[in-house]
Amino acid sequence: MKHWLRRQRALADYTLAAAARRKGKNIALVAVFSVVVFAVASAMFFAAALRTEARAVLAAAPEMIVQKLTLGRQEMIEAEAIEALRAIRGVAGAEGRLWGYFYDRINGANYTIMVAPAGEAAPAPGHVRIGEAIPKARGFTYATAPLFLSRHPGDLQKFVVDQTFGSESALVSADLVVMNEADFRAFFALPAGKFTDIAVRVRNEREIGTIVEKAARVLPEARFVTRAEIGRTYEKLFSWREGILTALAGAAMLAFAIFAAEKASGLSAEEAREIGILKAIGWDTRDVIAMKLWEGALISGGAFLIGTLAAYGHVFLAGGTLFAPVLKGWAVLYPDFPLTPAIDALQLTTLGLLTVVPYTAAVLVPIWRVASADPDRAMR
Amino acid sequence: MSARRPTTPVFAAFGLLLALAGGAAVHAAARAPAEAARIAASAALVRDLGLTDLALFTEARFTRHPALADLATAFMDAPAALDHFPSGSLMPPPEPGQIGQYGQSALGVSAQEIAR
Amino acid sequence: MITLQDVAKFYNEGRPNEVRALEGVNLALARGGVTVLKGPSGSGKTTLLSVIACMARPSAGRVAVAGEVVSSLPERYLTELRRTMFGFVFQRFNLIRGLSVLDNVLLPSVPLGGERGAVAARAMARLGALGLAEKAQMPVEYLSGGETQRAAIARALINEAPILIADEPTANLDGHLTGRFLEIVAGLKAEGKTVIMTSHDPRIWGAAGVDRVAVLEDGRVGAGGA
Repeated sequence: MKHWLRRQRALADYTLAAAARRKGKNIALVAVFSVVVFAVASAMFFAAALRTEARAVLAAAPEMIVQKLTLGRQEMIEAEAIEALRAIRGVAGAEGRLWGYFYDRINGANYTIMVAPAGEAAPAPGHVRIGEAIPKARGFTYATAPLFLSRHPGDLQKFVVDQTFGSESALVSADLVVMNEADFRAFFALPAGKFTDIAVRVRNEREIGTIVEKAARVLPEARFVTRAEIGRTYEKLFSWREGILTALAGAAMLAFAIFAAEKASGLSAEEAREIGILKAIGWDTRDVIAMKLWEGALISGGAFLIGTLAAYGHVFLAGGTLFAPVLKGWAVLYPDFPLTPAIDALQLTTLGLLTVVPYTAAVLVPIWRVASADPDRAMR
Repeated sequence: MSARRPTTPVFAAFGLLLALAGGAAVHAAARAPAEAARIAASAALVRDLGLTDLALFTEARFTRHPALADLATAFMDAPAALDHFPSGSLMPPPEPGQIGQYGQSALGVSAQEIAR
Repeated sequence: MITLQDVAKFYNEGRPNEVRALEGVNLALARGGVTVLKGPSGSGKTTLLSVIACMARPSAGRVAVAGEVVSSLPERYLTELRRTMFGFVFQRFNLIRGLSVLDNVLLPSVPLGGERGAVAARAMARLGALGLAEKAQMPVEYLSGGETQRAAIARALINEAPILIADEPTANLDGHLTGRFLEIVAGLKAEGKTVIMTSHDPRIWGAAGVDRVAVLEDGRVGAGGA
């Protein structure tokens, strides 16, 4: 065993000494490779963190949402529907929800304005609770600044800010403006008896399918969204993105490996000669292959470690700052949410394999023939 | 005598990287309870306010509330509305086969019947 | 110690560009002592050395080392044999550019997995004996011709092989270095090593320390005088 270890270390010594002859090129190689791994791993960690949070947080969403659709468009739903739903057996409660979007002309941001459900302490008339992104987007300089909303030129509504939701819940609350029902109806000129949609609580979650069926008979024009579907939407979002990411990662690594193979495929006369010399002075095929494996493993393994560690720091210590512009898109508001360090071991292993195996193979394949040739032949 | 072996600094660097990786794992584990508490607080807010979506993409209706959107939501404004938000490339379209993919039709035909 | 029986070596056999480098070579080389193989270029000297050093398999015939037939052994055994029995000095020395003298000298010892400190000490001792101790860390491309040759010799000896094989060792050197080379050979002979080399330099054939000269002509070994 010790003999084997010493031999490996000596092989690695030679590999590094040989690589040091072209230090600049090899360092650049590791650097570029690391950057590729960094990009992929960052996206992976980011998505994993969001997915963990989404899963945990949306498990508390309402069991079923009922929307009214007319001509394929969502429309306000009437209060009668709430009564009809409450009558269904298995329904623990149904509440009309009032919420909508407000486009703020001043900064081009979209806010979600909503009314707190019954039972939850509603803000006093003229008061609101707002999400953490709004003061930032409006440039509020002091804590007690009021919120002015203007529905059209010449209009100005003032609201006193009771509370700003912290950034701990920013992922769900960043753009919210929670107000009192009367204020909401006045603000949007909504008559009484109309709601945006209905949130339904059921007694037994396993009954949801039956309840949806019954509700569909009672409200034939309605659309039903269950909590499971909400969860699936986000699972799909993150796994779809990750699927794309893995495909991109695979493509990037493969491209890199092809590039490496391309460089080595000509197997320069110099390298072939050197392998011939090594064989002539007593190295056998196994030694040459092992040496090349060291080369592949050191470069790709090093790139993987550097890239992944940098990605961890980028996402979980620096909050994924490089991604913000990409994710933010055209939105003026962007939640400043913290990310939970969540690492998926399977994904990390896949990334590791994708990084190390193609590159090492690309380094190894071109020299296979030369490595197994008679040294005599190799040197001619 | 002879110069330092090249493997010494390189293996040391790898050792350092592995140690950092261990540190990252420890960091993640150490943050776990605080994170769990934070997430629980967010979940409480979701339950209290009856929220259904993450405020990730606030540009448009169908990106802000993707869970409540159906295939028709993105075309609410115009039948051939093209994707003009960058976040549209990050959001997949809603899954077909859900109840109410286009909403229940007025005749009460279900999604399965349409699919058939 | 080394016997060749009816050894032949063909390249590209059966094809239009067939080369018959060796044919019907019979040779017996004793332990200890210095043997020189002489012959014009194209007579197959390099090929013969390759076969003796187990770097090339004969197309026909048998090669035996210390009584054991080795020409039909699988590569692994041949490599093992090569490592432990032979040290080879190539005509063009074939040091690996970009590496230091010491790194080059240590190369044959890598697969053996020996304790590096001990091997390095041996290497430095050998380099010292050959007058290269101060240049141990220098990249080999900065060495002069004579220094390169001595580094190649040090490399060939790192595994303490009993047999040193040298292919035209002085062909690429200035004439005045031949004497220095012969001194080194005498020293190795005194250590008990067997030295086999090819040369077309008459000063080497006729040198005092040479025990036997064999003549190679058109792939056959003729009678040699001692």
